[in-house]
Amino acid sequence: MNNISILTYIAGIPIFVALLLLLVPSNYRVIFRAVSVLAAFVSMILAVGMFCHFNQAQVDSEGFRFVQDVPWVGSLGISYHVGVDGINVGLILMGAIVAFAATLCSWEIKNREKEFYILLLLMSGGILGAFASLDLFFFYFLHELALVPTFIMIGVWGRGERKNYATFQITLYLSIGALIALLGLIALYLQSGANTFDIPKLIDVIKANPLPVNVQNFIFPFLLFGFGILVSLWPFHSWAPLGYGVAPAPTAMLHSGVLKKFGLYGLIRLAVPLLPQAMHHWMMAIAWLAIGNILYNGWVAMRQRDLNLLIGNSSVAHMGFIFLGIASLNLIGLSGAVLIMVAHGFLAALSFALSGFIYQKTGTLEISELGGLCRKLPFVGTLLLMAAMAGCGLPGFANFVGEVTVFFGVWSVPALHFIVTLALWGGLIIGAVYMTRAIRNVLHGPLPSEFAQISGSTSLWRKIPYALLLASLLLFGCVPSLLTDKINPDAARLTASAQTRKTGPTLVAMAQAAPLKSPLGN
Amino acid sequence: MKDQIFPWIILFLPLAAAAFIALFTLGNKTVSSLISIGAVSIGFLLTVLFICANGFHPATTDVFVPWLHIGGLNVDIGLRLDPLSLMMLLIVTGVGGAIHIYSYGYMHEDKGMARFFAFLSLFTFSMLGIVLADNFLQMFIFWELVGVSSYLLIGFWFEKPSAGDAAKKAFIVNRLGDFGFLLGILLVWGLLGSLNFSTLESVLSQNPTLLGGMATAAGLLIFCGAVGKSAQFPLHVWLADAMEGPTPVSALIHAATMVAAGVYMLCRVYFLLNADALHWIALIGGFTALLAALIAVQQNDIKRILAYSTLSQLGYMVMAVGLAGRTPAMFHLTTHAFFKALLFLGSGSVIHALHEEQDIWKMGALKNKMPITFWTFLVGTLALSGVPPFSGFYSKDSILGQALDQHHYGLYFLGAGVAGLTAFYMFRLFFVAFLGQPRTDAARHAHESPAVMTWPLLILAVFAVAGGVIGINDIYNSQFNPDLAGLSFGQRLMEPFSQSPLGAFVGLGAVLAGLFAAFHFYRNAASDPLPARLGPLASAMKNRFYFDELYEATFVRLHDLIAGICGVVDRWLLEGVVIGALRGGTSLSGRGLRFLQTGNLQTYAFLLVLGVVVLLYFVISK
Repeated sequence: MNNISILTYIAGIPIFVALLLLLVPSNYRVIFRAVSVLAAFVSMILAVGMFCHFNQAQVDSEGFRFVQDVPWVGSLGISYHVGVDGINVGLILMGAIVAFAATLCSWEIKNREKEFYILLLLMSGGILGAFASLDLFFFYFLHELALVPTFIMIGVWGRGERKNYATFQITLYLSIGALIALLGLIALYLQSGANTFDIPKLIDVIKANPLPVNVQNFIFPFLLFGFGILVSLWPFHSWAPLGYGVAPAPTAMLHSGVLKKFGLYGLIRLAVPLLPQAMHHWMMAIAWLAIGNILYNGWVAMRQRDLNLLIGNSSVAHMGFIFLGIASLNLIGLSGAVLIMVAHGFLAALSFALSGFIYQKTGTLEISELGGLCRKLPFVGTLLLMAAMAGCGLPGFANFVGEVTVFFGVWSVPALHFIVTLALWGGLIIGAVYMTRAIRNVLHGPLPSEFAQISGSTSLWRKIPYALLLASLLLFGCVPSLLTDKINPDAARLTASAQTRKTGPTLVAMAQAAPLKSPLGN
Repeated sequence: MKDQIFPWIILFLPLAAAAFIALFTLGNKTVSSLISIGAVSIGFLLTVLFICANGFHPATTDVFVPWLHIGGLNVDIGLRLDPLSLMMLLIVTGVGGAIHIYSYGYMHEDKGMARFFAFLSLFTFSMLGIVLADNFLQMFIFWELVGVSSYLLIGFWFEKPSAGDAAKKAFIVNRLGDFGFLLGILLVWGLLGSLNFSTLESVLSQNPTLLGGMATAAGLLIFCGAVGKSAQFPLHVWLADAMEGPTPVSALIHAATMVAAGVYMLCRVYFLLNADALHWIALIGGFTALLAALIAVQQNDIKRILAYSTLSQLGYMVMAVGLAGRTPAMFHLTTHAFFKALLFLGSGSVIHALHEEQDIWKMGALKNKMPITFWTFLVGTLALSGVPPFSGFYSKDSILGQALDQHHYGLYFLGAGVAGLTAFYMFRLFFVAFLGQPRTDAARHAHESPAVMTWPLLILAVFAVAGGVIGINDIYNSQFNPDLAGLSFGQRLMEPFSQSPLGAFVGLGAVLAGLFAAFHFYRNAASDPLPARLGPLASAMKNRFYFDELYEATFVRLHDLIAGICGVVDRWLLEGVVIGALRGGTSLSGRGLRFLQTGNLQTYAFLLVLGVVVLLYFVISK
């Protein structure tokens, strides 16, 4: 198994090229742009190949494919261990496609290009590596590697007068979130007594000796809120719309699309198998927080005057559906959550890419100043319309499949029927209200006279990233079995183990105490 | 089953056309429109061939391919082939085909013609998907897709603010209905464990109490979908605004097919509706029929009159379903598709001739200038008003007969009264727009539309005349009441009178009363005499009984208010407090820690020793 895994290439090529670019003088623009695009392209092609060969690939005893396991710090149990199963295969594919699209969209960056490309590649490679990692150390470290460039990029290449405040806030929030999650991970490591950072081994050990319920309930909030902050869980979301509002488009694409999924992925990969009883215990609380995301941020999105803030809030609202799917703790809900993670990655990247394009053309994202752009920018206008429709859950786009699956999954938990009703209201009504308002005010209506001169003619080359993201959304929306066939077995394994241990002996005490201790009640 | 592939081709050909136009031929009007017309016409031919080969009862009623399978959630993309869906296929491709052809003439001057036809094909695909769906989720998927096609086509002239607003309103109001629909689907799935119509039906027939106390709720929630899509009270407000779309769109989507989807859906899932749910459905249908007819009496925009008439007729159909009459409902749906499409296309022809003039009080005396439009419009008006032997008479009478059969006399008289109102407002429109004196220059200089627009009118007129007696209800009956024997042509012609003569004559009397009232008031009217006579009632009718204002003041305001509060909370409270707390906490701990940095050597030494002691304690005690 110690051949170099394709995953190492997918994540490693961008990082390696980023380091290589350090050597290129910063006036060789053509070279480092071409090299960056090439690196992202190769990484994407490899990811597509990996995705296509997933079913034929050899499976190791723990259910992972394309595995590479190289011991590193033996005394602590750290090893370089990568692999994919149904949960992360779609994420890595999505991440690589978004990274390529983001690299292509970076033509809008005009100053300090070399540094920008280096940071972008580090970000891409880091997050792809984090998704592929099966070792807690690299899982965490590679995410941080991707996170830090985000702050720098927003701070240096951001736009608008609130740039500094936004950078300050996003840095503060995400660092604290990552820190809280780290505390949880360390606690997990210590409490398991397995002396290993290896995630599959950790799961095996804990399966054999489940953590006591009180320990689980103690560790879980660290993971929930730590990872939750990284995913803009309500009410810790205010960094996200603000940060994306000022971030340069490629950064917003990559962070909202890919990086943000890290926290959710962490919850699914670690909290579900390692802390199943705590998951059950906190189910109601997670569900209500998710409703906070869906309804509250939906309403906030209705109030936004800036297109990017609107997209940002809508993206935060979508996180609610994913949390809801995870909270359901059943196969349908969890599969739906993974589906939305992939779908939202494409959609968020597409939306921010398009708003970036509009900003380039008009110099403003104030909704009241825009209007009638469908006539002047037919290509981008049509795509923005489709993205808005995907955002309010129109069938044909991957988001619909994910959301509807989550609804069905959560509905099969009788205690959550009311929650589903609220989520449906948020998804079907509020989503429709702010998305159609945005279309009405940005794309429809009369064209303001100052935009009479703009032209939407763009070269085919520049259309590629948009078309690629839209095509991915449509592909997985029309043929969801491409993803679900891969997700299902692993989601089933995760939920089955969570379910059996829900009814295990250690749970007796908790089941009685749960109604009392449930943090937010029913 | 022969020609099994045909229904799949019928379904996906319009999608292929839409995609092809969008990707390759957006720049070419003619090619785009021909592709779109070709797709729907081939669909019609294949439907006819399929029915010729297999009859209305194919050997296999359910074919599907798996689509999404996760645990207990199984969704296929399937085709349900029975008289109900096959007749709808004929309507959608047939009437739709005529409207596609008409659009070629109507939209010829428009620079967005290629886009128009791409949307039209997308709509046709979505509508066919609803018709052929064999499970709830598939139906919901296409339900949403017709919603978005309708949105795109209402907002086709998106630069007009009113068009953009109308599109938005239609989408959101439809979504309100879909909210209930999806909730109902979830409820049914949770209790019965399947989404497939046939499976659900057999599960429920084996164990009718499986839905338990939720049966009425499930039925009414699913009905919500129909309330939204078929624009029933209280979600009827979007349809009149939807007339902002090009007239062929109004004919196809907002008269003949999409708005009827709610009725079709109710017939499809009829087995889920219990007596209580049906009762409410009948009442809401009846109320909508009356409300919309009253509003139509005082509208002056030719398309809006037709739109409210559509609402009213949809109310009839929904009422018929509620009265357990699926055959009357579908029968009326079919004849309505013919004559309402005809009326809309006729109004489009008028609007076209009068350079986008839609106010009937600016028309007049079009009889000689537009003879084909005039005569076909008259046919449509007679059919809609329910004058024998036109098609509308038979289908409307079968609904009234159903009310009598069910001993629902209240709804019967309501239905008869609405029939009288229908005749009144339709002939009001007819007399004012087509007879009398020309009121404007545009009306004086009107001329007949080109053949590509008049041929569809003639074809639809034939069906509007004969649709009642060619055995359409027998086809539906063969599914819903298989025991009933078919009738001969002569029997069909006389059926309303032989079935329940009293009912037929009362209905007919109401129609004649309405007709003569219209004749009396509007034969040579220069302006509308009704507002003076009816006073505030007339202005309430004109203002649609203030429902838009009511919703604006409640639903919209409430959502905006909540959104406003959330916006303020988000901006000031969450951001301020959380960031403030972090900032304050950090600086506080910084200040706290400053006290440790006293610079005093003894203190440092003391702390050092303390630390060592603590460490030693932990190390040794372990």
